[in-house]
Amino acid sequence: MTATATRSRRSRRAAASGVRALLFLLRARAVFVLVALITLFSLLAPAFFTANNLTILAKHVAISAILAIGMTFVILTGGIDLSVGSVAGLGGMIMGYLLTRGVAVGGAEYFPPVVLAILITIAVCLVVGLLNGWLVAKAGVAPFIATLGTLYIARGAALLISNGKTFPNLAGTGGRGNTGFPAFGQSYFLSLPLPVWIMLVLFGVAAVVARKTPLGRQVYAIGGNERAARLAGIQVPRVKVFTYLASSLCAALVGLIIASQLEAAHPATGESFELNAIAAVVLGGTSLMGGRGSVAGSLIGACVIGVLSDGLVMLGVSEFWQMVIKGSVIVLAVAVDQLQSRVQARFLPLLLTAQPEGAEG
Amino acid sequence: MSHRRILVMLALAPLLCGTACRRAGMSRPLMVIVVPSQDNPFFKAEADAAAARATSLGYRVRVDSHDDDAYRQDNLVDAAIASNAAAIVLDNAGADSSIAAVRRASKAGIPCFLIDREIDADGIAKAQIIADNNQGARIVAAEFARGMGPQGGEYAELLGRESDTNAQVRTAGFHAVLDKLPNLVRVAAQSANWSQSEAFQKTETILQAHQSIRGIIAGNDTMAVGAVAAVKSAGRSGIVITGFDGSPDAIASIRAGELRATTLQPAVEIARLAVDEADRFLKSGSTGKPERQVIPCDLVTRSNADDYQDFEKVR
Repeated sequence: MTATATRSRRSRRAAASGVRALLFLLRARAVFVLVALITLFSLLAPAFFTANNLTILAKHVAISAILAIGMTFVILTGGIDLSVGSVAGLGGMIMGYLLTRGVAVGGAEYFPPVVLAILITIAVCLVVGLLNGWLVAKAGVAPFIATLGTLYIARGAALLISNGKTFPNLAGTGGRGNTGFPAFGQSYFLSLPLPVWIMLVLFGVAAVVARKTPLGRQVYAIGGNERAARLAGIQVPRVKVFTYLASSLCAALVGLIIASQLEAAHPATGESFELNAIAAVVLGGTSLMGGRGSVAGSLIGACVIGVLSDGLVMLGVSEFWQMVIKGSVIVLAVAVDQLQSRVQARFLPLLLTAQPEGAEG
Repeated sequence: MSHRRILVMLALAPLLCGTACRRAGMSRPLMVIVVPSQDNPFFKAEADAAAARATSLGYRVRVDSHDDDAYRQDNLVDAAIASNAAAIVLDNAGADSSIAAVRRASKAGIPCFLIDREIDADGIAKAQIIADNNQGARIVAAEFARGMGPQGGEYAELLGRESDTNAQVRTAGFHAVLDKLPNLVRVAAQSANWSQSEAFQKTETILQAHQSIRGIIAGNDTMAVGAVAAVKSAGRSGIVITGFDGSPDAIASIRAGELRATTLQPAVEIARLAVDEADRFLKSGSTGKPERQVIPCDLVTRSNADDYQDFEKVR
């Protein structure tokens, strides 16, 4: 082996490790943004970095994070679910109806206990998810259109349930045996609010499903190349239906949490939540083209959005500026995402040829 | 005689017949009621009251909503013109952006009766009947100040959608009263876009940033009820909260002693007035009233909460 060859290999290795470092920085950008935001707000608002406020912050983050976790699977297959906000609203209204009006069983009014009512609510919301999945996977409707349609259908249904009114007093009554719903969104376990636990459990399950199970790998495969996935024998429609079901399940949980926190269900709840969820997923580095991204990224993306909006409220920044700032962060994140893909594509040959030290045979 | 002509005549037949039948039947005149949305109890009560009164006066009724979208409102007005409405009762989509639509309807010979919100033009609509938002804001702010007591303290304000005229009028009314009281200090002001869940989250955060807050004044009842839930969830008590609108939820909360006060906009009364004036105008050519009419709001507190129901004084 000549000296020049060794030297060129060394410099290639150095370049490759530089590119790797750059790629790491680009990939971990959401974490850096999050840390920067937390530092900034802690310096500017003395009450920001307190246990109390971080708990409340986590509770606010949970709402968009739960939606984002479900949305991640849909987006990983190259789809999108615009209906989640409406489904959340619908979920709250169904719960409100079950708790305050009950169901007619054999001529008598029956008030299901809270756990049963929650299960019924989730089941109804899953029907919307099933419809989404069927429309996309079987009927061949573009995901944007299919879920735009169900966005309107679910919102309309939520309004129809109460004829546009709010269901107040969701605390239930002892005589009907349906008390306890407020605990769903308001109670604490190990000094963390229950919604935060729901978020953490969902995150754990979703991360394992995405990384370790065949189903999760199939989701990535479909997003990477749907035709290849089909030819490889993956049941593409079935996997897609699963992603929309997961998204609707998350939406139902969000609707239930909000209704429980407010002890009231308003049919307009959840308007534009889908945009927050999509923004969180994109901030977390998941590509809208599908095939690339992670559940953990979406969780961090949701944290960025939550920290940003709560921090700006604490500083007393006007709503108009809040919108401008939030929009700028999203646009920047996607621009950096593009940069990352370009860097990756440009230096892929270098990364593949320049093996790390000691790896050569 | 070509086949084509026969086909055209066949196609037109039901249309012509339909028009003729409708003419011959002398069906009842149509009153079109356009409100911002029907998922808001306030607009719903207003639309229902107008529809009920119009039906009882012998009109056919159609209720549409424009979702605060001036373009959609334009289309709805066109539809009303196309369906030969006798009158339009309109809760409009913006003081400036609605002028053109109202003018077009008037030119087409359809009188417009505006409720709840004014437009920035005179002589186009036959009537503009609104609740006195400024007076309402002042009376509820005075009650808020009474609740805060002589020692005063820090308070937060939840604003409505900042681009909405009513949000601006209300906050101006609040401050006309509160800014004269030196011991009341506004330490936070955030828009919660009239929304309950947004008010809940923002109040939670504001309560963290400003631990010594003793009052929250909200630009409408939905936000006030959200603030009540946030205060409860923070385990705080003794915080004075007031709303605006007189919604059923707020009145229930006042009865429960959580919300201190709200101001009831007489939406039902205004809707009925507008329909009555439309009817009078169609029959006699005049409403008998000036174009701009301002109806005062009522203060609702625990002592008189039972007198009000669904945006209306019932006792």
